[in-house]
Order: sequence, then structure tokens, then C-alpha cells
Amino acid sequence: MDTTFSQWAWLIPLFPFAAFLMLLAFGRGQRMLGVTLGAASSFAGLVLSILVLIEHMTDGTAYYQYAFKWLHFGSVTLNAGFEVTNLTAIMLVVVTSVSFLVNVYSAGYMKDDERISVFFSYVALFSFSMLGLVLADNMLTLYIFWELVGVCSFLLVGFWYSKPEAKAAAKKAFIVTRIGDAGLLLGILLLYWYMPDHALDFVRIGNVFEGNTGVIAAGVTTWIAVLIFIGAVGKSGQFPLHVWLPDAMEGPTPISALIHAATMVAAGVYLVARTFDIFQASQTAMDIVAYVGGFTAIFAATIGVAQNDIKRILAYSTVSQLGYMMMALGLNSLTGGIFHLFTHAFFKALLFLGAGSVIHAVHTQNIHEMGGLGSKMRITTWTFAIGALALSGIPPFSGFWSKDMILHTALQEKPFLFVIGVAAAFFTAFYMSRLFFLVFMGKPKGDHAHESPSSMTIPLVVLAVLAVVAGFIQTPWNDTLGTWLTDGAEKAHGGGGLVMVISAAVGLLGLYLGWLVFVKGTIARDAVSSRAPWLVRLLERKYYMDELYEMLLVRPLRGLGLLLNLIDDYVVDGIVRAVGGTAVLFGRGGTRLQSGQIQTYGLVTLLGIVILIAAIVGRRFW
Amino acid sequence: MLADLPILSLITFSPLLGILVLLLLPKHRSRWLKVTAITATIIPLLLSLWLYADYDGTKGGKSYEEKATWIETSLNKEAVGEVTSYTVNFQYHMGVDGLSMPLLLLTTIVGVMAALASVHVKKRWKSFYIWFLLLEIGMIGVFLARDVFLFFVFFELTLIPMFFLIGIWGFMNREKAANKFLLYNGIGSAIMLIAFVVLVATAGFSVEQLSDKQQINLSYSGSYEVISSNLTDPGSYVNMPADQNQGQDNPLYLSERMRWVIFLLLLIAFGIKLPVFPFHTWMLQVHAEAPPSVVMIHSGVLLKMGAYGLLRFGIFMFPGVAQDWAVALAILGVINILYGAVLALVQNEFKLVLAYSSISHMGIVLLGIASFNEVGLNGALIQMISHGFISALLFLVVGSLYERTGSTELKDLGGLACSMPFMSGILLAAGMASLGLPGLSGFIGEFLSLLGLFGSMKVITGIAVLGVILTAVYVLRSILGITFGAMPERFGAVRDVRLIEAVPMITLLAFIVLIGVYPAVLTEPMKHGFDVLLQQLTEKAGR
Repeated sequence: MDTTFSQWAWLIPLFPFAAFLMLLAFGRGQRMLGVTLGAASSFAGLVLSILVLIEHMTDGTAYYQYAFKWLHFGSVTLNAGFEVTNLTAIMLVVVTSVSFLVNVYSAGYMKDDERISVFFSYVALFSFSMLGLVLADNMLTLYIFWELVGVCSFLLVGFWYSKPEAKAAAKKAFIVTRIGDAGLLLGILLLYWYMPDHALDFVRIGNVFEGNTGVIAAGVTTWIAVLIFIGAVGKSGQFPLHVWLPDAMEGPTPISALIHAATMVAAGVYLVARTFDIFQASQTAMDIVAYVGGFTAIFAATIGVAQNDIKRILAYSTVSQLGYMMMALGLNSLTGGIFHLFTHAFFKALLFLGAGSVIHAVHTQNIHEMGGLGSKMRITTWTFAIGALALSGIPPFSGFWSKDMILHTALQEKPFLFVIGVAAAFFTAFYMSRLFFLVFMGKPKGDHAHESPSSMTIPLVVLAVLAVVAGFIQTPWNDTLGTWLTDGAEKAHGGGGLVMVISAAVGLLGLYLGWLVFVKGTIARDAVSSRAPWLVRLLERKYYMDELYEMLLVRPLRGLGLLLNLIDDYVVDGIVRAVGGTAVLFGRGGTRLQSGQIQTYGLVTLLGIVILIAAIVGRRFW
Repeated sequence: MLADLPILSLITFSPLLGILVLLLLPKHRSRWLKVTAITATIIPLLLSLWLYADYDGTKGGKSYEEKATWIETSLNKEAVGEVTSYTVNFQYHMGVDGLSMPLLLLTTIVGVMAALASVHVKKRWKSFYIWFLLLEIGMIGVFLARDVFLFFVFFELTLIPMFFLIGIWGFMNREKAANKFLLYNGIGSAIMLIAFVVLVATAGFSVEQLSDKQQINLSYSGSYEVISSNLTDPGSYVNMPADQNQGQDNPLYLSERMRWVIFLLLLIAFGIKLPVFPFHTWMLQVHAEAPPSVVMIHSGVLLKMGAYGLLRFGIFMFPGVAQDWAVALAILGVINILYGAVLALVQNEFKLVLAYSSISHMGIVLLGIASFNEVGLNGALIQMISHGFISALLFLVVGSLYERTGSTELKDLGGLACSMPFMSGILLAAGMASLGLPGLSGFIGEFLSLLGLFGSMKVITGIAVLGVILTAVYVLRSILGITFGAMPERFGAVRDVRLIEAVPMITLLAFIVLIGVYPAVLTEPMKHGFDVLLQQLTEKAGR
């Protein structure tokens, strides 16, 4: 437990939290305060995170954990705490580095927004929550921050709240992820009642589930794993809860890079990795994870081909890549999932920030209204190209290495998923080349475009460097990451030349096809749409998922509400009114009886006596 | 120091001081009247905070108890044989424990905030505040009384002021709402009274042997202690089918079936207040028609009296019967949660959204109670407190909103974040608390209640969790409908909150955050509040 830096890791989330509090208190009208505090706090976090990571890399056994009683009464204790493992250390660096770069970038991107300090306060709150999620040492603490990142995401998606689309997207993001969260919540409830001593911390969870000791029945294990996975499905935009993520692109673009590409959406993958022992104890759950991931990868990649909004293409790409990560985890490759999370965070953040730079210049998000930006925005173009190559899995860019590792695992474990993965890789390369060529090549469609300020381009360059080199921490010949993450349990696969060749070839093929269609024009752009318009329409409408939800969930629920409303008004309250009415009627009757006529009184009295006598006499026989 | 003072009576009756001053003030001086009333609510708050600081959850509240003979009626004229006295006595008995301490704090805090929110009252300030302070006395008394008759008196004391507060200062259909309120709660009280009378006449009977063994005092008492100790003591008259000496039927005996009936009566009586489906329709109208500051009290505190009564009498006195009812209670809770949530989803009037939301959230309290374990029971109590603060905050905002927009219909509102960023922020935060966001109080109550129930009923909990999703849907639909979107022209000149409105908003939100982040503020005093009950439950389970 002797650590130099790890014991101070709790400070990492507190930097942005302090920034958030200060902005909340003094932020009004202070335009520069947000920029300064945002950048300074995330930089402080980054430095400390790097120190923690270095400590963990030099000393493989470095570990620190601290917990305190948070909720305590009678014999019940629920703890809160933080823990620094190798996995958390690397996540800390991913989150703080992207967060820092996005803070710097936003200083330029959000310069003219009048609520800039509100923006930075939300970003700071998000960083706090995300880092808290990463550091959490037990399921409950993780869940708390899990929900908080969701709210920050909601606030930032709806940042431009007067736009109806932003309002709808924010609402959708919150509600759809909430469905997943309900699953996760149930998973935690199950864990609490089945774990020995009601323990919820990852260490003991690991001990109990590791090696399938049978402390918890197999059926229950599967339930727990599946419920946790439902939470991950919601957060990480896996099918069928992916529908919120593309809509979340209504938020400011730096947010799309930070939250909806690099960090929060990866939290689902992180969650599965964190509770990997539970998943490993249930093959059923692992298969579910693998197939849901694989299906999402190909499903979203095909949608990406037919979208026209630059950010939505990237969003579907994110969904698809998250699918790859899940697939890797489901194939029992923790390293593969985390490695792809790591590389993807950089190149996808790069692509989003690049897209933001483009949008900043041309004020549209439709790729058909762009073109020829290559000559006007050199830095953006070059860095975007690097990001696109990394995403398409072209060697030696980072995405190639991580995708190769996943495909290699898939070929060994489930060849069917390998085929799916390769197909998705092809579509990925194709939609990226389509995007790149339409935006940066061809004829300019307006001449006011110009390169973005250096506060925006410097983060692009840094991320581009990372997108190139990040892949070298784990190659077929070098298993640094795998050994370090899994304590030697997962080794580099070594060789696998065939997979590398296939993977690179498919990527190049996709790019080449895109080049043929969108630059050279050898293949007409409407080659598919003229032959199978229904197919293009199906993809454009995203397989009609939104419509399906509307029909199956939203409308029936609303109908039920209206029906119950009528029942509440007329039946439930109606009965009450009837009872009340009867009482009034009796009252009226009573009033009439008090007429003052002595004869009536006499009659009633007589009647009463008769009844009384009958009752008393009757009692004997009864 | 504190134990030497009659602190509980001081807290309860300190608003009387305000009433006296109010009576002396001229009725048109609204400023003086308001300041007096607000001050009069601050005194019990300060006193109860003092009590809270002094209170030790581990020791309980024995040392603060106050007892005095209140009503004593002799049933025999002279001594017969060795029986020297044969009486019915009701005591002025006040006490505090882990169950009532948090509720006392809730009442006094919400009391001050509602008094502050009453600045929007436009007419007859003097009588408004007098009723208001009477209402506060009633509420505090309900939570501190330790005698069923005293409880009943305080309980009734809340009805009359509430009737006038709704009927005179409410919105359009105020009189109808007030009548419905009185009728419904009157029925509830009548049922409660029947149950209490039966309790006093059976379990309240005790025999006291005086020191020289020659004299015996027989008495019927309304004291909680006497009743519950008799109910649990296997040797007491109420648990003996036949008289030991004479072998006759024992008129004091409460059979298992009678206990069921009494429990059912209590469930209905307090279920109306809680409210439990299908007895909820009266509270919809109160939410919609009463002035918002009164709804703060109503939704914030009065509904909790239902849950408190159910716990105090239904569950604590009949743990065995109640446990037999556990599944029924849980199902009622789930119905409340889902029914309230689905209906909140389609309301067009914001106040009705909140009313149905209250039904839904009080369902969570039922779930916690139905769990019959430590986690769930504590969760239920925290949920009560939490919902009290949250709904008070929501109606505080509703009041300020109505002042500015003249409407709380969702279709009339929109885009207010633009002209009222502060109030919209508070509203959003309150909504987040309501949908159970961690870090805010709503989460603790909801999570613990569900966690507790899951230990005993897994499938029902699974269904109840659907409410978590639905809550998010209706909260976001209504609150985003008010604050997000394009702002209509006519709201351009609307001003954000004034200081007098901001202070209670921030205070209530601060408590919501405090409980959410550091729940020990609540769990410390209530630490052993359920010990006796839990012990009884385990003993019963073990027998």
C-alpha cells in the first residue's frame, strides 16, 4: 500500500470540482474565469494522473485503496472510497488528457458564446464525475458517479437549450441511458444481497467471482452480469439503446469529443472491464456481451455510410467502435477492449475536434455543403486525415493495432464475429473516406473558410501525435499493456500475420472504394441508390429504430397514461363522488325527517322499538 | 441542560407566541404581520435544531419526555374491594425518538420556508398567518405526541387550519377542494378514532399494583408505551383469550382477526393521508387549488403524517400482522409508484404533475416499509424526509413561477431559462432530486427502499424499478417544457427571483444536497429508531 502519488489520486477529481464550485459562485459575467479555471484544473489533474501512471508502470504492484463509511445505521454500512489499480491509472490519463485538450480547444470554440462560464462549469462538473467514476472502489460509488456523468452529459447536450432539437436530444439522452441505469441498479441490488457481508467493493467482488468458486450460484451470476451489462449498453450506446448517442450531437462539438467519444461513452466498457470477474464467471453473459458488441459494430457502421451530418457520421462510428470494444471483452480479451478504448479515445476526440474546427469555419454540418477545405485549413486537414487513417485501421496508426488485436481474438474464439468485425472495418474505412473526400477534397463551396485559431489547432496536433503513437504500447510482438493490465494473464498473440494483412487490406479497400466513388468518379455516387433506393433509405432512416421506439414504447405509454387519466377522473374519483353524494342524500333525507310533525316522530319511534324488540328476541334464536 | 427544559412543549407551542402578537397587530399592516409570522416559525426551528444537536441517537429521547395527567375520568365512584381506582386517563405525554426527530426537523424547516413563500399571499394576511401557525402547532404535535388521544387532537388540529387555508386563499375551485379535503380527511379521522378507541379499550388496559399489595389501580390509558408493551407482552390481558381466574371470555382480548381489522382500519385511515391508491383523488385538488405555500406544507409535511401514523401505529404496534400484509403493502406501493408516474406523464397542469409525482414518491415509502428490514425501513423514513424537502422546493418554485407567468399550465410555459436562469436552475435541480439523482436526497431514500425491498421481494422490486425510468420521463417532460425551448415574447420582461424567494430556495436545496452527500445527518439520530421493531420482527420470525 506504500505509494507516493496514488494515495493522492483523490485530488484528481477534486481539482475540477473546485473549479466547478468557484465557477458556480463567481462565474457570472466572468468570461475568462471559466477558461482559466477549466484549463488549470484539468492540467493539474493531468499532471497528477501521469505521475500516478508512471508509478504504476514502474512498479507493477503499486496499488492504493481508501474507503470510509458513507451510509451507516444499525448493522448496515455502505462504504464510499477510491482505488488506484493499473486499469484506473490508465483511464485517469485518458480522461484527464482529453479533458485538458478539450478545455483548451473550447477556449477558442466557445469564445463567442455568452454562457461560456456556464459551459466551463458543466465541463468541470463532468470531469469531476468522470474521474470519480474511474476511481470508485465499489459498485455503489461507481453508480453514483455513473449517474452524475449522465446528468452532465444531459446538461451539455442541452446546453443550447432554446433549440428544440437540443431539448429533445438532451431528454432522449437522459431517458434512454436511464433505462440502462435501471438495469445496473438492479444488478447492484442483486450483488448486495448475494455477496458475502453485503460487500460491494471490486476487490471482494473479484475474490468471490474469480475462478468461479461457487459462492454465488451460476444463474445469479449470469443475472448480475447481464444486468450490469444493460447499464453498460445504455451508457456505451450499444444496440438497442444506442439511439440517444447520435442525437446527442446537438451539444457543442468539444462536448461530443470529450463526453460522447472519448470518456463517458467508454464508461460502459470500463464498467464491464472493472467487473470482468463476474462476466468471466458466466459464459452466457460473455456471449451476450460479444454478440451485442459485434452486432452493434456492424449495425452502426452501415448506418454511418448513409448519413450526411459530419457529426452524426462520427457518432455512428463511435457506436460502432464501442461495439468492437464490447466484442473484445465478450471474447475474454480485457486487453483488447481497453486497448481499443485507449486508442479510440485519442483518434475519435481528434476527429470530433477536427469536425468542430470545420464547422467553426463553414457553419454547416452537412458534408454535401462542404468541400475543398484541404487547401484552406491545412492543420485541420492533416490532423483529420491522421485520425481517419487511425480509425480506418491503416498501419501503423494506433487504430490498426487495437483493431487487429480484437480481430485476432475473434478469429481464435468465434470466427463468425471475426467476419462481422472485418466487414465492419470495411464499412468504417469506406464512410471515413467518403467523409474525408467530400469535406476536404473537391471544389470549395464558399470562400470564407479559414483555419481555426491556435487554441483549437494545437490540441488537434497533440491528439494527432497520440493517434499515431498510442498503438505501439501493444503490438503482436510487444505485450506491454496486456501483461501490465492483466498481471500477465493475457499475453501478446504474437504473429497472426494473416489477420494483420486482412485487416489492413480491408481498410485500404474501403478507402480505395471511397476514393473511386467520391474523387475519381469511376463509380457513380448513385450506383446503389438508383438500384436499391429502399436500402439507402433504410440506412438513412437508421433502420427505423426511432420510429420503432415511438410505436412500441412512447405511444402505448402515452395512451396508457391518457386512459388511466380518464379512469382516475371518472372511476376512482367517481366512486368517491358517488359515496359523497349518497352521504349528502342521507343528510337531505335526515333534514326532511325533522319536519316538526309529532305524528311522524311517533311513527318512526314505534318502528324503531319494533326493530329493537325484533333484534333482542331474534338474538336468542341466533 | 436541555433535558431540564420542557423543550418539546416549547417547540410545539412556540408558534402560539406568534399568534398572540398577530392578534394584537392591525390587520392591514402586511409587513409587520409577515415579519411576525416568519419570526414565529423561526423560533421552533431554532429550538428543534438545538434539540437535534443535543439528541443522541444511541441513547434515544427518553430524557426529553414530558408527562402530565391531562384527562382522568373515574369509572367507579368509590373503592370496591381492593380496587382503589378504576379510571380512563389520557396523558399530556410528549416524546421524541429516532422516528420523530427527523420529521420534527422537516416540519420546522419547511414551516419557515413556507412562511417565507407566503409573501405572495395577497389578502387577509392576519388570519392567513394565524391559521398557518395553528397548522404548524398541529403538525409538530402530531410527531411529538406519545398518547393516542393527544395525537388525535393534534391530528385534527391540522385539518381545520388547512381547510380555511385552502378555502379562502386558494385558486379558482378552492372551496370545492377544501370541502373535499375536509370530507375525506374527516372520514379518515373517524376511522382512525374507531381504531384508537378499540386500542385504548383493550390494549390500553393495565393493572397497577400499589406498594402495599392491597390496593390495585385499574386504568385504560392511551399511552403508546402502555399500548405497545401490552400488545407485545404475552402475559397481558389483551393477549389472553380467557380470563385466568374465572375462565370466562376475556373482553379485553384482541384476537388475531381483530388485530387484522384494526390494522386495516389504521391502513385506511393513514392511507388516505399518505395517500394510497385509490384514496388519492382529494390530494390532487389540494395540490392544484391550495396556495403554493400551503401546498409546500401539505405535500412536504402533511402527507408524511400518513406515513408516520402507519409506521407508528400500524407497524410498530402490530408488527406481526403488518408483516403478514407485507406483500399487499409492497403491491400497493408499486401501484402508487407506477400509477402516479404514468399519470404524471400526461398531465398538462404542472401542479398536477407534481401531485401525481407525490403519489409516486410516497409509494416508495410504502415499499420501504413493506421490506420489513433495517435497510428498507430506514429508506422509507429518509424518503419521507427527502420528499418533504423536494416537494416543498418544487412548490416554492411553483409559487414564484405563478407570480410571474400567471399560469402553471405546461402549454403556456416554455423557454424560461432565458429570462429566469436562477429559478430555472433551481427547478431543474429540484427535478433531478425528484428523479433520484445521486448526490441529492431523493437517491438515498429511493435506493435504500428498493435495496431493502429487494431483500424480501425480488420480482416486485424489479417492477418498482421501472418507476425509476418513468420518473425521469415525466420530470424531464414537464421541467424541460417549462425551462427549455424557445422563449415566448411575453416572458421577455419577466424578472428572475427576488432575494426573499432565493433564500428559501437555496436553503431547501442545501438540505437536499446535504442529505444526499452526507446522509449521516439523518441516519445518526434515527440510528436506533427501528431497533425495537426489528427485534420484534426477528423474534416473531423465530418463534
